[in-house]
Order: sequence, then structure tokens, then C-alpha cells
Amino acid sequence: MKFSFFHLMPYSQLPDDFDTYDSISLTYPNSNFDPAFGASLYSRYLDELEYADQLGFDGIAVNEHHQSGYGLMPSPNLMAAALTRRTSRARIMVLGNAIGIRGNPLRVAEEIAMLDLMSGGRVDSGFVRGIGWEYFGHSINPTKSRSRFNEAHDLIIKAWTSPEMFSWYGENYEYRYVNLWPRPIQQPHPPIFIPGAGSTETMKFCAERRYTYMSVYAPTSIVRRWFDGYRAAATELGYVADPEKIAFSVPIYVADTDEKAHREAQPVVEWLYHKGLKQTGEMVTPPGYMSPGSLRGVLASGLRMGGNSYEDLLANGQAVVGSPSSVTKRLSELYDELGGFGQIIGLFAIGPSTHEQVKRSAELFATEVMPVLRPLGTEGTS
Amino acid sequence: MTPVGRLPQVTEEFLELAGGRVHLLRGGTGEPVLFLHAAGGAGTWLPFHGGIAAAGFEVIAPDHPGFGKSDEFPEEDSIDDLVFHYLDVLDALGLEKPHVVGASFGGWIAAELAVYAPHRIGSLTLLSAAGLRLPEHPVADLFLMPPAKIAATVFHNPPPAAPVADGPLDIDAIIAAYREATALARFSWVPFFNDPKLERRLRRISAPTLVVAPSDDRLIPVEHAKRYAERISGATYAEVPDCGHAMYFEKPEEFAAVVTRHLREHSLKEQRS
Repeated sequence: MKFSFFHLMPYSQLPDDFDTYDSISLTYPNSNFDPAFGASLYSRYLDELEYADQLGFDGIAVNEHHQSGYGLMPSPNLMAAALTRRTSRARIMVLGNAIGIRGNPLRVAEEIAMLDLMSGGRVDSGFVRGIGWEYFGHSINPTKSRSRFNEAHDLIIKAWTSPEMFSWYGENYEYRYVNLWPRPIQQPHPPIFIPGAGSTETMKFCAERRYTYMSVYAPTSIVRRWFDGYRAAATELGYVADPEKIAFSVPIYVADTDEKAHREAQPVVEWLYHKGLKQTGEMVTPPGYMSPGSLRGVLASGLRMGGNSYEDLLANGQAVVGSPSSVTKRLSELYDELGGFGQIIGLFAIGPSTHEQVKRSAELFATEVMPVLRPLGTEGTS
Repeated sequence: MTPVGRLPQVTEEFLELAGGRVHLLRGGTGEPVLFLHAAGGAGTWLPFHGGIAAAGFEVIAPDHPGFGKSDEFPEEDSIDDLVFHYLDVLDALGLEKPHVVGASFGGWIAAELAVYAPHRIGSLTLLSAAGLRLPEHPVADLFLMPPAKIAATVFHNPPPAAPVADGPLDIDAIIAAYREATALARFSWVPFFNDPKLERRLRRISAPTLVVAPSDDRLIPVEHAKRYAERISGATYAEVPDCGHAMYFEKPEEFAAVVTRHLREHSLKEQRS
């Protein structure tokens, strides 16, 4: 099992009347953003990622969001660049660049290649389409989302791997000269991570290329279907999926006792799901963002994923909370319930949790949980 | 041609074009009127259509690509594609120079069609047409509105909200609505319901033009209709009172009457003589 420390960098201070807004994203007024407080958050959050490297996490992870208090990293590559100079062991995971909404995918190829060199080959490159609201925010046509994602992916891989200059004429992008300087140090290119949320096209896309398929926050029964879909896609291609290529994403809160853990975790887990992820259906699924087939699948499987209370979220595997032994036990259960996985992408800095809480939670996890779970999910164990 | 339901004079047809099939409804006899529908109401024969047909016109109402029962035409993704699409439709129907009436999104297509091919337009009627870029009077973002808010926005007097059904989701209806929203977004997400070059090209329009706005348009502000009327040579402007952007859904008789008056005043026969 590999363990990574993932950060969203949330803007954790919300006004008392927050519930009157549709969401923390897109239309939530930026008058609510205090730059001085934001600066202190960046400093603190980078410290936390650096601390995770010192604690022995295998990876430290950042991602991209726009116009949102849910995550304050419009450019994950800037954060990754900062981390290259202050860490030495952990993989630096960019999970990922939202290549569906980027105007210039060649720039992403260039930046990841730079990061790869700056980190001495420690970069993992995630690619995401971008969340629905970001297609509003950056005026990118969501009906082109899949096409833009696929084309940007193909262009970036070719730019990294082609030993000679080439031209590119696609539906969305045209380049007469693609001639990447610098080229990445990892060969043939940095490992690729792709999040999945039920699309069979994505499962097949990842299985064909042997990319790591990672879950997004959803109930266990649904994540199980995604992981099974990825494994089935691999089987169809004639191989057994390596568990290391399946990554389970989940918020984790560890404290010295169960009682303390739940007392501290409940408000921050509720913040994450009730405020951080508060959004309207129109924001999540703009027209064309999903194919009719995927939408039908989501509707038929019952989009309403059961309850959203703290107890429901724990029961559904959407947060793992407790003492080190309880968290170890719960993650082992989830390992079985999900049919196995080889990576845990843990969100330790949940919503408005304090720096001390995050550090303590990560410490307990690294020293008491990781060693016990380490043997799970390596090739041949599932 | 298949009769539609219990409307004896309305028939349903499919046109075979190179890129797919176009579904259309046809009713009435007289001078041909090509009606280009708004974002809602594709494939539906409404009292508004019936009102124009009853006044002695042949109303031909196709569904746009990706709407109603028309095919997707996935290669069409911009307003100029729609212009060429409708030139193909006119040719397939054998219409040399019909009346053209367009509403909202369909009004934008009608205006562009009249700019590209002024010689193919007998008369032009724009009902609160999209298409102009007026940053000081932006089009409201209907893509961000939940269905109940759309109804509250487009009607001057919104009908009472339908009771929320307790039963299972009507998945087919949701998918059908999402398909049409996807087609709409394909053409109008960005630039948002506008063609930055359209306004200065409007001088090319030569057909007698009527521009109509509902008095209380909270989706496309009436300034858009007024700008159309200013920029199109000889255009007349009319407002329908106490009405929202739902126009011919909210005030079908009034809209049929104002359109019919314009069609009669600019008979295709008189134009030829």
C-alpha cells in the first residue's frame, strides 16, 4: 500500500450567512476573500505538505480548482514547484491539471516537464476534465469537454515522448511547431493519474494505458462499482489490474482516542460535505459535460447517494475517523469492501481543521496506521 | 407525411440532409413561413403556430440540430454552421424566398441567415432574438438556473409550479431535456448567445423586417430588440405588453396577431410584382 497526503487548500473561514449562498464556488463573492488570511493559509498548507514528506508519506498531492473556496489552487503546478525545493523524498502528485479547461495544453506539458526536472523525477501527473462550474467560470464550452480532454492528453503525451519536432492539427488545438524544451526526466514520461466518477469511457481509457485510476468522494457501494469497472476493463484487455493502479481517495482524521477524533472531526467533515461541496445541479452538470449514456447511468443508479449526515458519511466510507487502531481497522474493512486497492490518497487537512490537528492526525497515521496497512494492496495480495 | 395527432391539418415530415435528418411540422395553406423555434418547444405544434396557419399561411417548423426529433448533426457547432444548415433546409424544401420568423435562439439564426443570404428572405420577423453582444444588457445565464427559476424568469405571470412528483424520476424526460440543453450550449455557450460580428453586418439585411419584444423580458433584455430595430434598415418595432420572454407560450394570440399583420403587409406576391 502506498499513502499520500492530499491537500485541497480550502478557504476555511466562512461568514455566518454562508447558507444563503448557492455554493462556495463560482458565484460566491470574492469580497469574502481576505488576502492576508489567504497568504497565511498558503504558508500553513505548504508547511503541512512538507511535513508529510518528513513523516514518510509516499506522496504529497495538490489539485486544481477555480473561483472557489473549496480549493485555493487555480495553478497546482505553482504549488508543486514550491514543493520541489522543500521536500526530498515524497512523490509530488499533481492530481491533476484540468486539461479540459486549459486553453493551451502545450503549456501543461512544459510545466510538468519542468517540475519533473526540478524534483529529480518525483512528479506524478494527474489529468482531470475540470468540475462543471469551472466550465462556467472559464467560459469553456462543456459540450467540448471530453474532446478537449482527450486531445490535450494525446498532445501532451506526444510532446513528452516524441524525439522530434511535430505539427498538431486537432479539433480543438493546432500547433505548427511542437518541440518540447525541457523534456521530462522520467521515461517515457511521468506516471499518469486519472480520477473516475463512473464513466465507462474513463475506466477503459485508464485500463488501456495502465494509468492509475483514482476515486472521488462517494459512498463505498458506488466506488466499488467504479473499481470493479476498471478491473473488468483490464480483464477485457487480457491482464489483471495491478492494485497499485487503483487509488482510493478519502478524508481521514486520526486523534489519540476515538472520542477525541469524532469530537474534532465532525464539524470539519460536515464543513467539507455541507459547505465545501455545496453546489447546484446546474453547476455540477452543465449541458454536454456528461454523455447521455453516463447521465442515464448516474440517474438509474440513484444519484441521491443516501444520507449526508456525519454518521451516514462515516458509514458510507466518505470519511474515516478515529484512533489509530480504529482507522486501521476501518481502512482494512474498506479495502475488502472495495475489492482491494493499492493506494490511499488521504485528505488530512479537512475544511477548517487547525494546523495542530492536521499535523497530529498525519503523525498518528504515519507512525501507527501506515506500518500496519503497508503490506496490503501490493501485487499478488488481492 | 404523417398527420399529427388530432390536428388534421398538421403533418410531420423528415428531411434527409447530408448530415442527418431534420424533423419538421407543417400546417396551413398559403405563403410559406419558415418558423425557427426558441430553446424550448421544439417539435410541438402550439396555438401560436395554429394562429398563423389560420390566418392563411403555410407554417413550416423544423427542429434545430439536436432538438426535438431532429438528428444531432454533431459536426455543426457554431452559428455559421446553422446558417448553412438552414440554407440546406430551404433548398430541400424548395423554398426560394419564404417568410422567415425566428424566436430567441431561433431569432438569432434567422438574423444570421438574413445577413448571409438576404436574397433568400421574403420577410423577416425577429421575436426577442438572441445574437447581439450588448455587454451593458447581458443575456441572463439560463444554464445556471434550476428549472423552477427558468419558469419564474421567462414568464411575466409564471404559471403555478407543477407539484413535485413523488414517483420515480422520469429519466427519459431528463435525458431529452439535457440533450436539447447540450445542443443549445454547443452553439451558444461561448460567445454567450452572441456573434460579435453580427451587429455591424445587419446592414446587409434587405427584407422588410419586424422586430418584436415582450415588454418584460428578463432573459434577453428589450434593448437587444431595440438595437436590432435600429441597425436593420427600415425595420419596425413592436412590443407585446405584460409578457415575458416565453412570448408565444405566454401570449400566443397576441404574438400570432402581430406576426400575421407583418406577413400580410409584406406579401411575397406583391414583392415579386
